[in-house]
Amino acid sequence: MSFFGFDTSLPRDRGHQTKAPGFGAVPDAFAGLSSRRTVDDDDDDAIDFEDTYDGLGDRLDETDDAFNDDTFGSEPASQQNVGKDFDFAGQTSKIANTLQEEHMLFQARQPPPRMEPARQAARPARTGYENYAKTDYIPQLEASANIWGIQPKHHIQPQQTQQSQQIQHQPHQRQESQGTSATPARKMMSLEEVEAMMRAQSKKPGPPAQAPQPAQAPPVPPHPQHQMPPQQHVHYPSQQGPPTGPPQILQRPQQQTAPRSSPASRPQGHAELPGHAVQPPSIPQHPTILQRQRPAPSEPVAQTQRHPPAQAAGQRPPSQPRQILQNPNRLSGQGQPISQAAQRQAEYQRALPVGPGHNRGPSLQGPVVTHPEQLLNLTEEERAAFLIEDAKRAKRNHKIHMLSKDNGLMTPQDKNFITRIQLQQLMAATGGLEEHGPEAALAEDFYYQVYTQIRGAPRQTPHQPTSQFAQTYIFQTGGRYGVGGRKHQRGGDNHMQRMEQQVQRAVEAAKAKPKGKQLVIEGSLGKISFSNAKTPKPLLNIKRPESTDGFHATARRPSRVHLHDSSVFDRKGTLRNIERVYSTLMLMEDHERLMPPPLHADSDPATIQRHLEWQTKIQGLHEQLWQDLKIMEPINPNSLTPHPFIAMLSHPKGKKAIPRIFRQIDEQQRITILTMIVVHLDALSVVAHAVPTPDEPNLSRATREEVELFSHAVMPPLFAHISESPLNIVIGLLGLILDRTNLQVVARSKIGMSLLTMLISRAELLKQSTPEINIVDWEQWTQLYNRLFDSVEPVLPFVFPGSVNDGDDVYVWQFLAAMGVGASPEQQQRLVLGVKDRVMETVAVSKALPAEIASVRLGHVNLFMRAIGLDVELLG
Amino acid sequence: MLFFSFFKTLVDHEVTVELKNEISLRGTLKSVDQYLNIKLDDVSVVEDVRWPHLSSTRNMFIRGSVVRYVHLPAAAVDTALLEDATRREAASAAAKAKQG
Repeated sequence: MSFFGFDTSLPRDRGHQTKAPGFGAVPDAFAGLSSRRTVDDDDDDAIDFEDTYDGLGDRLDETDDAFNDDTFGSEPASQQNVGKDFDFAGQTSKIANTLQEEHMLFQARQPPPRMEPARQAARPARTGYENYAKTDYIPQLEASANIWGIQPKHHIQPQQTQQSQQIQHQPHQRQESQGTSATPARKMMSLEEVEAMMRAQSKKPGPPAQAPQPAQAPPVPPHPQHQMPPQQHVHYPSQQGPPTGPPQILQRPQQQTAPRSSPASRPQGHAELPGHAVQPPSIPQHPTILQRQRPAPSEPVAQTQRHPPAQAAGQRPPSQPRQILQNPNRLSGQGQPISQAAQRQAEYQRALPVGPGHNRGPSLQGPVVTHPEQLLNLTEEERAAFLIEDAKRAKRNHKIHMLSKDNGLMTPQDKNFITRIQLQQLMAATGGLEEHGPEAALAEDFYYQVYTQIRGAPRQTPHQPTSQFAQTYIFQTGGRYGVGGRKHQRGGDNHMQRMEQQVQRAVEAAKAKPKGKQLVIEGSLGKISFSNAKTPKPLLNIKRPESTDGFHATARRPSRVHLHDSSVFDRKGTLRNIERVYSTLMLMEDHERLMPPPLHADSDPATIQRHLEWQTKIQGLHEQLWQDLKIMEPINPNSLTPHPFIAMLSHPKGKKAIPRIFRQIDEQQRITILTMIVVHLDALSVVAHAVPTPDEPNLSRATREEVELFSHAVMPPLFAHISESPLNIVIGLLGLILDRTNLQVVARSKIGMSLLTMLISRAELLKQSTPEINIVDWEQWTQLYNRLFDSVEPVLPFVFPGSVNDGDDVYVWQFLAAMGVGASPEQQQRLVLGVKDRVMETVAVSKALPAEIASVRLGHVNLFMRAIGLDVELLG
Repeated sequence: MLFFSFFKTLVDHEVTVELKNEISLRGTLKSVDQYLNIKLDDVSVVEDVRWPHLSSTRNMFIRGSVVRYVHLPAAAVDTALLEDATRREAASAAAKAKQG
């Protein structure tokens, strides 16, 4: 029996008291809430042990305090029923200086750290997580036993000496571990294993019963540091291999319990704490519970690694409590070099406020609490603040622990490797668009690209990252390396280089590899296509014989029967012609985009060369287009089939091509086209089929649409051209119309009449703007005009479309106005006579119409009336 | 890729998607991918009496393979351009067919 009143049996004999948290346990601040009951139940069988064992270890970890009532009885502690036989702190504090000296001495004498080269060398890169996987790690047992076996002598000594020696001994161990910078030698044990072993050992020697203890156990307020252990997880693994575990278990009960029961503080604690509103123990208690339950072995860390050196400062009389502080929590210290007292002390002090040497997180602003006594001495407010702070810390640490569970599973190299694989796959999947550049993107995504250019406001970037993806990606990764890990910059660069090389190789490989996008199975009709991210699998891909091009395709009769006599073949041929025109047009437009930069006087030869090539190519395409248009095919007036070019114009898409064609061709060719159209004016479907017949006064809808399209697509370029033509051209065109076409038909169709209007008004304009016009030309024009007038006059009553109620007659009024301007008074008279009925009808009808529409209608009539110097108002 | 390219231009336009199970959904096209999967927002069911269970669904992702029709907003379609795009597509398909 020691004078301290606790048993002197060897630690290995005494075993591990069950309440003490294992070193490998990870305190979970919250797990205890639900499992508290269970834990107590489990303790039933250990009651004997608790009764006999002094149980000081319980209070080692203040977080367990909430259980004290359960374990030791709930009667209020008082000075009477609390013994003083465990006042280790008080006793020890008396010899604190001695301890300190001893410690310094010990350190001074300490031989250089013993190396454990073999193991350390073998596993330099241990992360400390390895043992998570192994719950039954047997070597641990051996290791711990080994440790205990080594130093039994310390424990044989009388208590006080033993304690001081123990203190010295610990630094020694610490130094070892620090010296080797890792202590891989000792394997981690799972908590169960440790406990089992402890229990087995403790059964043997019945330690002297410490009856008073249960009652005495004061609900000591939590020790801040005890809540911190989770942080160990964060830091520890990276720095050190599994450190010595079990030995510390031994140490803790001994050393940490001691300070607890300072006689002075005890009563106070009893008196105050239970009544405390903010009862701290409830929070800290959880970690302990967790520690117990958790098999997690990685916590040998709880090792006391910082020690009394702190006392060297002599600031705080009770030296032991600090150990408690330091013990379980001080982790970061392990990774640090040589145990220089001063250095350690500095660290220790730094570490104190925050807890486990970790300056993350909020630290209590108030007095540093390192010992329960201090806490008791604090004011209520301070204590409450401290406890709240404490709880917060515990919570945060737990969170950190949960988050960092899988930290370090993959090394940066691993990650890089994965990244490279992904990148490679990506490159392979997209088939390396860079090969083709934006042109390929345009080809693949033509509609979207052009559409967004035309309509603007592209939501996504038009040239989406496909081609730049790899670069972007690499850049980002590089940035991360550059900013994140300065230390590893070299390594990062290497990775980057390797990655870049890898990507390059991947791209090259993708280029070199024949694109096996299809698989042809023998005897099958089609091919099986592989899909990738960019080109989803098409359905069957039937191979076409070379020459088909529509000839063998079943000739479907056009659903819409055209009125002209062209055969199916002609129709198809025409459509094919149109498609050829379009292909050439698209080639030309593509080629325009490729136009090299404009030439300067000092352009270098390469640019000039490119220009020449470009010109050559556009020239070729130009000729190609001209041929495709078939405009130079001989005109055969007696042919049953219309001229190929005119046939093209009978199709909507042929009409739509005209503006684009006009952009590509030169002046002469435009005149040619204009001439061709004028010559065949009455053969145009929009003229020939757009003449109202007595049977069908109103045009069919399809025809109206055709006419509409023609006037929107074909007329504007023609009009633009005519409006710049000299008189001789106008004369020539009008002459062709008069000579070659059936004016009766032309004049009765909207298109024909519009064209006539164009020509006449252009001539009129020329006459007014250039008075010094060639007399000969002018006489020629007058002749033609007269001819035209004579031809048109008979059909004047019929030129109006539909009935009077149709509003769509403005083009007629325009024509009449154009005619009227150039007409002689006599001709004007005849004009008025010709359309008099229509004028009167329109005026009459517009009286019944709403004012707006009426004014529009009358305005149209006025176009003509004013041209001949009249006004509808006069008719009113 | 023509259809993908085309549908991309309809993003943020209102379309009506008719599914193969006869449900018609009207909503704003938010996104489309190369499988013509469709993301719709502000969805309303055309016949919400018939499909009441969908009435509270505001946005959805539609697998491309279950789409029967997509009713397009005519104003948002550039037919001339679409014709050209189709020609290109056909030309490249023909080139591939001949080459492969």
